[in-house]
Amino acid sequence: MNMTPRAVVIGSLMILAAVVFSVVIMPYVNTSKTVPSEIFRSRAPEEAAGRAIYIANGCVYCHTQSIRTIDWGLGAERIAQAGDYIQDHPILLGSQRTGPDLSQAGGEHPNDWHTAHFINPRFTRPLSIMPAFAFLGEQGIENLTAYVQSLGLMQADKRMVRQNYWKTASTDAYERGPEANVQWLHNMVPKGWREVPNPYPTTAAGLARGHKIYQDSCLGCHGPVGDGMGPAQPYIYPPPLNFTILKDRGISGGILYYQIMNGITGTAMPYFKRELESEKIWDVGNYVAVYFINQTDANAEPKGIDAAYEP
Amino acid sequence: MTETSQGFARKYATAIAFSLTSGFWMMVATFMGLLGATELMAPDITENIGWIVFGRVRPIHVNLVLFGFVTPGLLAAAFYFIPRLLRCELYSERLGVITVIAWNLMLTLAVITLAAGLTQGREYAEMIWPVDIMVVAAFGLVFFNFIMTVKNRTEPILYVSVWYVLAGTILTACTFALGNVIWRPDTGALTGIPDAILLWFYGHNVFGLLLTPLAAGVTYYIIPRACRAPLYSHTLSLLGFWSLIVVYTHIGTHHLLQVPVPTWLKVVAIVDSIGMVIPVMAFLINIWYTARGRLGEIHADIGAKFVFTGTIWYFFVSIQGSMMSLPQVQRVTHFNNWVVAHAHIGVLGFAGMIALGGLYYVLPRITGKPLFSRLLADFQYWMVLIGITGFMVVLTIAGLIQGQAWLNGETIYRVLAPIHPYYVARAALGLIIFSSAMIGFYNIIGTLFFNPGEAK
Repeated sequence: MNMTPRAVVIGSLMILAAVVFSVVIMPYVNTSKTVPSEIFRSRAPEEAAGRAIYIANGCVYCHTQSIRTIDWGLGAERIAQAGDYIQDHPILLGSQRTGPDLSQAGGEHPNDWHTAHFINPRFTRPLSIMPAFAFLGEQGIENLTAYVQSLGLMQADKRMVRQNYWKTASTDAYERGPEANVQWLHNMVPKGWREVPNPYPTTAAGLARGHKIYQDSCLGCHGPVGDGMGPAQPYIYPPPLNFTILKDRGISGGILYYQIMNGITGTAMPYFKRELESEKIWDVGNYVAVYFINQTDANAEPKGIDAAYEP
Repeated sequence: MTETSQGFARKYATAIAFSLTSGFWMMVATFMGLLGATELMAPDITENIGWIVFGRVRPIHVNLVLFGFVTPGLLAAAFYFIPRLLRCELYSERLGVITVIAWNLMLTLAVITLAAGLTQGREYAEMIWPVDIMVVAAFGLVFFNFIMTVKNRTEPILYVSVWYVLAGTILTACTFALGNVIWRPDTGALTGIPDAILLWFYGHNVFGLLLTPLAAGVTYYIIPRACRAPLYSHTLSLLGFWSLIVVYTHIGTHHLLQVPVPTWLKVVAIVDSIGMVIPVMAFLINIWYTARGRLGEIHADIGAKFVFTGTIWYFFVSIQGSMMSLPQVQRVTHFNNWVVAHAHIGVLGFAGMIALGGLYYVLPRITGKPLFSRLLADFQYWMVLIGITGFMVVLTIAGLIQGQAWLNGETIYRVLAPIHPYYVARAALGLIIFSSAMIGFYNIIGTLFFNPGEAK
């Protein structure tokens, strides 16, 4: 083949044109007709402003917005559909999960949790490697929070309604004083759970595990000594619980377990059931009971059949 | 060569200017990489300094590596060998130098705007519209200079390196304009799923139609010259060139296999990703057979040594890339540090090594004297080699830990602690790469301006 300049230049341009036709224009014909999915809605101006901040600060490099079919492990309840993205300009699918996927992040946490987390992510998540975003200022953080709370669109809206409803209820309980607050919190746990003691004995190994989990997940809000004065405390309302007020007020291993597992929607207390296995939740509950409440029901009756590994 | 120092500076002004550009921006680019790696290791080290928050450092790093270090490095060699292969003068050294000045302005503007948070938010297409225009114009000027040189040539036959350089510059000007949606200056993006398809078509073509052709062009020039042997096969050159342009352009959608894009497009992307074996092996067999039995000659020339090592990395990264396009492999490798390892092998191990090789091969021939320091060049070679090997090992392990843990049902948060040691090791390796860039720039400056060596 005689490779004249014309053959090289015109030839490669013609190939490129053909390829653009087949892998860009033909799919465009198909994908530009996508209809909105069942969760789709347009973004409010505040959310759009938050999205601009998300883009400007390169959040897309660490957070995907794309739940894959293989993401069962992340606990995602919904696989992404083309109709979710029809107004995303540009689309922010992302290519790395240095941090979690955010496509369904709206309503997972209340706004005050996000404020504390954006001021410094270590305030609520001690092991996080996300940058601090206090430099965005109050308005910037507010807009960014509005955007994150919109992720998941109409499904996120439903979760936000729930957050706001329980925010009112939990604030009301907190403002009625420690006695009433603790009673309210306990009453929100189903009766069966309230009556279950921690089924495992207190052991040095169990407390060591509980200590590690507490440091990795709890310390930012509840503080190193469990008095609710962690670094996130100034930003959170109702504030993180001071564990010492639980003593002699009907606390049980089951209540602690249930609250750690499911979180307390409306407050900054997240659920940990996707992050911690059952044993770890019992262990961190017992750590809190032993060290901060100074009252544990571990291994008390009724405890059912003894665990095989008990010493 | 017996020119005076003034003589070589005038004759190869563009190649010299691109060499300095490449050496300088390699330092900045690798420093940005080191900074980002450090932030992943110790996030509060730059707490609340908005313009170097990780999400702004990363695109600065990536764009500077692509358009500040590797591309100018490869172009420096091209501006040396194109006139020689065509047996004529470059069409215009003046235009070339103006291009390099504009190129540096563009890079400076890119750094300032990205640090200020002015970004279009699309991976590899972050730079805002005015910078995009400058990139397209710069590639247009480079192509114009080359094609006019081709027109003035006295050598009737175009050598394969010339094909690659011509195609690489003109096709990149086109795909860059297309991929950056240059007809929409406000956002530079389409909307929804079509935006993702276009973005990854363009994103992969940065490697397929820019770095790979330019690096192949440099390799095709340097390896036969260093070996003093004719190229093994003209037919393989043809096969490698045309199949590269046909196949590489189809594969961008392998980044979107888990995204709702048309299934036929995913099939095309996977099939062509496997088909990449054809252009890759046509090129490599051609180069390696040319060098067969002559590795001693390559070893004797530090430039050729860099280039040949780059071809080995090219083999590795290409086979790995073909495998990574398979959905079953992606179940583990997608979205984690495995891909970061792959990207570093490709851009630093393959294209970056060849860019450095190009610089070290042409600079002594431009000045007519040996390198300022062969020892430092060798030292840099080993630093880059150790750094990139380390990146590959460390980031691949981190990626496997992440991918397997996620498949096992772990959340992202639970896997942060296990991969932390690998982030520390990566930052340490980044320090090696950054140090090597400083040594390299020192060596380039020394070779051009403070060279005590005797003229050959």
